[in-house]
Amino acid sequence: MNPDLIDQYFNAECAAALAPLVTLAGGLLLLIVAEWFEPINRLRPLLFVGSILGAAWAEVALLNTPVPAVLGGTYSADKASAMWGLVFLASTLIAWVHARSYYRKSRPFLGEHDMLLLAAPMGMMMMAGALDLTVFFIGLELLSIPLYCLASFRRDRSESVEAGLKYFVLGAFSVGLFLYGVALVYAATGTLSLTALSEAAAAGFSPMAHVGMAFILGSLLFKLSIWPFHLWVPDVYQGAPTPVTILMATGTKAAALAFTLRITGLLPESSAGLIALLAVLTMAAGNLGALVQSNLKRLLAYSGVAHAGTLLLLVAAQRASGDLSYEATSAALFYMAAYVATAGGAFGLLAWLEADGEHFTQIESLKGLGRRRPGMAAAMTLFLLSLGGIPATGGFLAKWMVFSVTLDAHLTGYAIAGVLMSIIALAYYLRVIVAMYMEPASDHVAPPTAKRTDALVATAICAAAVLLMGILPNVFLGLI
Amino acid sequence: MVDLLFYVAALVAVLTAVGVVLARNPVISVVSLLTCFGSLAVIYLLAGFQFLAAIQILVYGGAIMVLFLFVVMLLNLGGLSPEDEDGDDPLFHDRRRSAGGLAVAVALGSASLIGILRGARHLAEPANGYALPDEGFDALPALAEAMFTRYSLPFEAASVLLLATTVGVMVLAKRQRAVTPAGEKRP
Repeated sequence: MNPDLIDQYFNAECAAALAPLVTLAGGLLLLIVAEWFEPINRLRPLLFVGSILGAAWAEVALLNTPVPAVLGGTYSADKASAMWGLVFLASTLIAWVHARSYYRKSRPFLGEHDMLLLAAPMGMMMMAGALDLTVFFIGLELLSIPLYCLASFRRDRSESVEAGLKYFVLGAFSVGLFLYGVALVYAATGTLSLTALSEAAAAGFSPMAHVGMAFILGSLLFKLSIWPFHLWVPDVYQGAPTPVTILMATGTKAAALAFTLRITGLLPESSAGLIALLAVLTMAAGNLGALVQSNLKRLLAYSGVAHAGTLLLLVAAQRASGDLSYEATSAALFYMAAYVATAGGAFGLLAWLEADGEHFTQIESLKGLGRRRPGMAAAMTLFLLSLGGIPATGGFLAKWMVFSVTLDAHLTGYAIAGVLMSIIALAYYLRVIVAMYMEPASDHVAPPTAKRTDALVATAICAAAVLLMGILPNVFLGLI
Repeated sequence: MVDLLFYVAALVAVLTAVGVVLARNPVISVVSLLTCFGSLAVIYLLAGFQFLAAIQILVYGGAIMVLFLFVVMLLNLGGLSPEDEDGDDPLFHDRRRSAGGLAVAVALGSASLIGILRGARHLAEPANGYALPDEGFDALPALAEAMFTRYSLPFEAASVLLLATTVGVMVLAKRQRAVTPAGEKRP
């Protein structure tokens, strides 16, 4: 090859920008090789955590020396993508810790489980850093296909298989929408690069490009679980193994949001109102749906839909007022970081409780948990309060930042509707807390007994992060 | 002549695509899909994408279709089971729902069609008119250069994707054996 080309494309900047992806890919290959050799196979946890920490270290290095665009402007490792990368890695690590003792020890394919789990953050990073629709598409697939398999990982349970199939069929449909949109945008503008597209958008898109962007946005809303594309969420979150749900609820949502924020400039200005309306409808659908649930996993799934609605307000705000993009991105990052800690912590506690039987996902079975396992109940209370947005937790500040950005964009009515929805949300979070502390334990339900050090450490770290973000937010805001 | 060829290929592609969905015998579905791929290859060729047309025939028409036929033959040697022939077509089982789905599909399709038709008028004619270069639009040197420079990240990531997919398919499809803690396998 022409040596000039090599210098132009594969230089030190490129190496730094791709270092997190290369670390994860290397770890993934080593995990496969480890399957063949029993002595190395025992080091599998070390390999997994090592790759995650290595990738995190590379992301931190990128935070200090960001690389705006590499590989001919198709991939960006700017500060925001590096922060998003850390969010994805944290979400994967939490999912992995809780997966460790979730499955039976005799379960085959646990090595493959870890390998698929490591492929997902690679896809998320490509989605968050994509400056070209091709890069985003491969990232989307690299995230989705491992998740389809992981969602149906418990093949002995029909719910898990159903979750995987539902996720696959709807995911394939949304990818089809995306590709159709990309084809239309390319036909109208002749480029797939986001930089070139935003120049074309500034000069005025043709109707064909607008239709294409609508399809692309539709497929992103699918992944973000926005009304009316949210119907798959409760079934899939409930059916999938709980550790996998952690990754789906936090990581996937963050990746789709990161890219949606990147492409808001390509949407027509008039779409801000429509997006804000969708956000409010999503919050309503999620919160009203959660009110009537008796299963905590399903309740958290509906609450995840409501949170996605809140996050979509940021997209609307950024579209309504172009100079809010820094505020919107930092609010999204803070919100998702808090959400990874809270939802990861809450789903993680559920995975822990499930070691004593699947019935512990029912709110009914959690009655009296405050006396039986005071530590667990206290952590669950903290996570639920943070999800509900009570002051002194990360969730409160996250919501406050979102609503203040929405107000700055003069979407006052939508912000008020959002605040009202958050009050409805408290009703169902408090119902769980009431069941844990104020209702006597039922005699048919044996108290949960499982003791797990790794889950305990993960839960403690999540709880500490939630409190820190609520009390000393400057520690986190300083990073952004 | 070229126009005529395009319309014939396009018509065949649409009709066979509909046939893939509507055929009740899986073998007919697969053969319709094969014909659809073939007519798409003709369209690619007419549009000046020679390499893409060749790949379409080799990969889709060849490798993937053989795989499809294998799976269909392995899974469904006996053809349709009796209850399927009672006219209880799963696709149209619930008339109201299929009508609703059809309505949404028609609405989305016509909305995008209007956008495309209005957009097509806005498309500027290329500087050199619509002349087709001799080596086609997808000459291999340019394609290879783009693939290994600008698009090297998605190209390399696609190999990780294929690896993950292979592992995932194995996890889902392989018969599971319980492994005793000592590492011995028992059926």
